[in-house]
Amino acid sequence: MKRINRVAIANRGEVAVRIIRACEELGIETVLLHSDVDVQSRAYRLATKKICIGPAPTSQSYLNIEANINAALAAGADAVHPGFGFLSENADFAEQCEKNGLIFIGPSSGSIRTLGDKVSFKNLAKQAGLPLIPGYEGEDQSTIKLLAEVEKIGLPVIVKAAAGGGGRGMKLIQNIADAKDLIESAQREALSAFGSSKVFLEKYLGKAKHIEFQVFGDCTGKVVHLFDRECSVQRRHQKIIEEATSPSLTDELRKKMGEVACSIATLGKYKNAGTVEFLLQDNQFYLLEVNTRLQVEHPVTEEVLGVDLVKMQILTAQDNFIFNTQDIRIPKGHSIECRVYAENSYQGGMPSTGKLGSVHWPEGPRRRYEFGFESGDTITSHYDPMIAKVIVWDETRPRAIDKMIRTLKDSTVFGVHTNIPYLIEILNHEEFRSGKMTTRFIETYFAEGIKSPTSDDQVKKWAIDINKKLKTLGNGGSTNTHSGTATMVSPWSSYWRGV
Amino acid sequence: MKNNFTVLINGQEKTVSAEIIDKKIWFKLDEQTYSYDLIDLVEGSRKSKAATKSPDKILAPMPGKVTKVFVSEKQIVNKGDALLVMEAMKMEYTLKADISASVEKLFAKVGDQVTLGYLLIQLKENK
Repeated sequence: MKRINRVAIANRGEVAVRIIRACEELGIETVLLHSDVDVQSRAYRLATKKICIGPAPTSQSYLNIEANINAALAAGADAVHPGFGFLSENADFAEQCEKNGLIFIGPSSGSIRTLGDKVSFKNLAKQAGLPLIPGYEGEDQSTIKLLAEVEKIGLPVIVKAAAGGGGRGMKLIQNIADAKDLIESAQREALSAFGSSKVFLEKYLGKAKHIEFQVFGDCTGKVVHLFDRECSVQRRHQKIIEEATSPSLTDELRKKMGEVACSIATLGKYKNAGTVEFLLQDNQFYLLEVNTRLQVEHPVTEEVLGVDLVKMQILTAQDNFIFNTQDIRIPKGHSIECRVYAENSYQGGMPSTGKLGSVHWPEGPRRRYEFGFESGDTITSHYDPMIAKVIVWDETRPRAIDKMIRTLKDSTVFGVHTNIPYLIEILNHEEFRSGKMTTRFIETYFAEGIKSPTSDDQVKKWAIDINKKLKTLGNGGSTNTHSGTATMVSPWSSYWRGV
Repeated sequence: MKNNFTVLINGQEKTVSAEIIDKKIWFKLDEQTYSYDLIDLVEGSRKSKAATKSPDKILAPMPGKVTKVFVSEKQIVNKGDALLVMEAMKMEYTLKADISASVEKLFAKVGDQVTLGYLLIQLKENK
């Protein structure tokens, strides 16, 4: 067994906070490797140590392997947790960690190369006779070749970043006239998000569900799956709402898909947490990809199984986690996660940036909030718009949906617009409630975004009245942005009588 | 800091929380969050944004980076043509022409970081 004393976190936002929490519980110190603008963040305030690794653009900080390694070493870290996104699925980064004596909290660089690179993953699956979607994964990345392959596969065709995940750099080609532009755009986004412009093509399934299995390889190499999640609610291939377990799987399908998930992970000699993604259409399932890292939506699995995946990751990296044959993990109840994005629900999801005012995530039974920014922090245009995740658990799916709606309505974010109104409309949609939604749910029902239920004139009238009232309170009206404490009453004078 | 108080809305007492952040008022009423530019609250004022918004001015709809410019000055564009691509929060947005026009002046080039409302392209409508 190796002992980890200090973990460097090569990430930001809510996942950095999640890792800090797990480390703290295990008595491990943390070093946050951050860009210069991210000093205004919750992870910065919580980490034991912090080292600035570069300026805001990701290529100069969060995607800079050398800067991350050097900072981790300089800070005396003995391990690195890459979180998700950024360098988390970069085999070169994992390899550099290994070479420099840093424990990479995740699979080996070899496993990332085998399973994380979608082309090599497909070859492996093909050899093993596992089900795949028709597509092109060749080395020839010229536009001419890619266009020819698009015609061969037959429209509609999807273009994906070879090194990607999470929907970045993905485009859907629906008619041949747009193909060239979309391929080039996907290549640019891939380069900017992952440092590699390589893309591959795949037949697009029009009414498929997105189902994924959480897999985990313990330190002996034994791979177990921790059941499934459904993430069919996606916009431009970016997940918005995830849940565990999927409402769409029969016991038989769950068993078969779980076996395929474990097979591919075992073939890739997988250790640590990973996710095997599938598309399911007409009771047929197809392997989509393996995400060789912790997943954004890992909390829903944690909620239904009562496990802590991040702690399991750290323990496995210490060679201190073995699946016990007596452990029986059966999912209980239902869990849903909503990603809260800084964007304007009423303007087609336009990104919204700015300084956060008051932010309130009210507590309640089995409500969980994962957030990276607090009041006073600034949301910039440099990074992903996800500012928080809201996770709930309840005994049944309908109850979990109702709880999520209540929780979102109770939550308050001032300073940037959020997709909360959009999320509530999705959760209330008949097709979502029925559990029959496919990956085309958003484009089918929410292509035009949503409209504000209140007219601009009405909002203005309210704003005038409320602003007047704020001024009479003398501490926050338009003439004074430095608001004060007039409404705050000492708890001692008002409550002592009741003691 | 946020203030909580009650206001009379349509004759009903309502609990509201409100806060001024960066010249905007943010408030939550009946479970909905709203914001409004303070400058537009002055009685009788017209909405400042609406006044400057016209199809011949291509403004940045968000803060972000210009990643592709498809047009050059004096070029003729048709309604629906892509003019440029912006990137913010790792997503690409294509700005298109709402009118048939010629490009009168180009104010942005690839790599520029622009603010919300920045004038990117001035078009001249073909009449």
